[in-house]
Amino acid sequence: MAPRPEIAHWLTGSVCLLLGLVLLSEAIVGTTVFRRRAWRAYLWPSIALGGGVLLWVIVVFSTFSPMHLLAHAVWAQAAMIVGALQFAVVRGKLTSPRWSLVTSGALFLSGLAFILHEQNPWLYSRSAFLHHAIGWVVAVAALFPLAEALRPRAAVWRAGFALTFVVVAVLLYADRDLAPIFGHLSDVATR
Amino acid sequence: MRRTLALAALLACAPLLLPAVARAHATLVEAEPGTQTRLREAPSLIRLRFTEPVTVAQGGVQVLDRSGAQHAGAASVSDAGLVVTARLSGLERGSSYTVRWRVTSTDGHSPSGVYNFGVGVAPPPPTESVGASATTVKDDLARWALFAALALVLGPLVVRLGILRGDAPPALERRFHLLTTIAAFAVIDVGIVAFLVRASNALQLPLGDLLYGDLQPFAEQTRFGIAFLVMTVGFAVVAALLALAWALDRLDLRLPALALSLLLASGLSLSGHQATEPNATWASELADWLHLVAACIWVGGLVTLAFVVWPVAPALRRQAFLGFSRLAVGLVAVLVLAGGYLAVVRLPEISALWETGYGRLLLVKLGIVAFALAWGGMHHLFVRPRIAAGRDPRVRPSLVGETALALVVLLAAAALTNASPPPPAADRPSAAGPSR
Repeated sequence: MAPRPEIAHWLTGSVCLLLGLVLLSEAIVGTTVFRRRAWRAYLWPSIALGGGVLLWVIVVFSTFSPMHLLAHAVWAQAAMIVGALQFAVVRGKLTSPRWSLVTSGALFLSGLAFILHEQNPWLYSRSAFLHHAIGWVVAVAALFPLAEALRPRAAVWRAGFALTFVVVAVLLYADRDLAPIFGHLSDVATR
Repeated sequence: MRRTLALAALLACAPLLLPAVARAHATLVEAEPGTQTRLREAPSLIRLRFTEPVTVAQGGVQVLDRSGAQHAGAASVSDAGLVVTARLSGLERGSSYTVRWRVTSTDGHSPSGVYNFGVGVAPPPPTESVGASATTVKDDLARWALFAALALVLGPLVVRLGILRGDAPPALERRFHLLTTIAAFAVIDVGIVAFLVRASNALQLPLGDLLYGDLQPFAEQTRFGIAFLVMTVGFAVVAALLALAWALDRLDLRLPALALSLLLASGLSLSGHQATEPNATWASELADWLHLVAACIWVGGLVTLAFVVWPVAPALRRQAFLGFSRLAVGLVAVLVLAGGYLAVVRLPEISALWETGYGRLLLVKLGIVAFALAWGGMHHLFVRPRIAAGRDPRVRPSLVGETALALVVLLAAAALTNASPPPPAADRPSAAGPSR
């Protein structure tokens, strides 16, 4: 019943890339220019909320192990919550920059779920490396919305936040479980 | 030009549907005998195919009959480590067997799983595998939390859409939104916990190994597993609708959220005793769904009155109380009629009420329900006229008390759902001997 995992990884990577490019566009041209057309403001909340709902489909395809099921459930929920809050921010219902702290927490938890659900060390295989890399990138990227909450409107935080998703997309596209990493592949993996 | 660009972008994305092989972790993709299959002849070999190379230890594959006797020989790997095989001996026609497997994949993880097959007979569900434990208090608590979360989605939505129609104070609206959205996420999360607890009873693995247990036979070949999958995705949509209703001030989105929640609640009825027992019919499934929905709206409505309307919107107390009081009469009628019908269907004779564990549990539940109904009746007879007359009696502590009692009713219902009802009359052994 479950689709090939690489399809799920690549589609998720595509959603991350789309999100990253949207956010990067806004960071480059500035919010005023980017939101001259009102619908553009809804792009990032829509992608986050819609992507979260779609991730639940991946969750129900992840019944081959509770570890994966739980990790995907964390990401799906984090994306949905952040997307819903961003909708409210765009609509002006939430005005405090402190709401960025929720995004920060969601990113940190998502990164943690990545790191915890990969039990092999960094150089075990390319997949292990990428899982650790994605986990740490996402967890450390939680600093961007944290900084945004403390010092709103600093373009560097927004650009960093946007680039996080581009980097995660590239890492997801590169995912191969049994491929070597830096010319190294664990003896156990090749056995 | 724009259309051409959009088409080009879509074509550029097309290769994403045909990515190179990435492989995840070793998962069982093919089994002979197949998972939950009924075979005509006893097999002489078991063959398990995985997505990536594995190693298998001595005793890594067990094929057990109902008495627990092992029928599999030493397991070996072939086909570049992708296939695990073991010889079988002593299998008999007319018996079912449990397969328990555990391998180590090349990524270092140790996936394991369990499934059944029958030779000339239908296999039992994976939850009734050899070595599986019966449901425990953990199952009851998980089921109770699931009922409670469902109640907190349905009750507030029914009160807001059916009783407090029209504009509401912002603080009240916020609390409605917060309660229902959190509850929708809770349905998903508690559903996951309940599913894992149920599967762990059969897998019988320590926590560390359980993280790599194969849940696919439970998810794909049991009614509760399929209900879990559908409810998970369905309530994700409900949560998204509720979140959007709040964020965009699109209150009309709550109506599809309520309709979808009511529909999804049927997942519990279609995977419970009223759907799986030998004498189950569409009428028992419908009655169970009505019983569940009425109970959830009743409990959720009480929570809404006590913790949403009363503290936040004093001006709406009268409308809410009188409206819910009218609704509660209908809910109680549905509860009693559907519950009475189900009790008659489930209990082959009246003595089963005190002679079987299921019957005794039902008696306990009936006792608590009677107490709760008396409490509600007291509100209806003594408090309602005073509120209708425009007075504001101090009723909140009593509402909180009735809510707490209603939650205890849900706990009893959860325990009853997980208990095995006595076999239908036709299946019971008579004085002259077994009936079949």
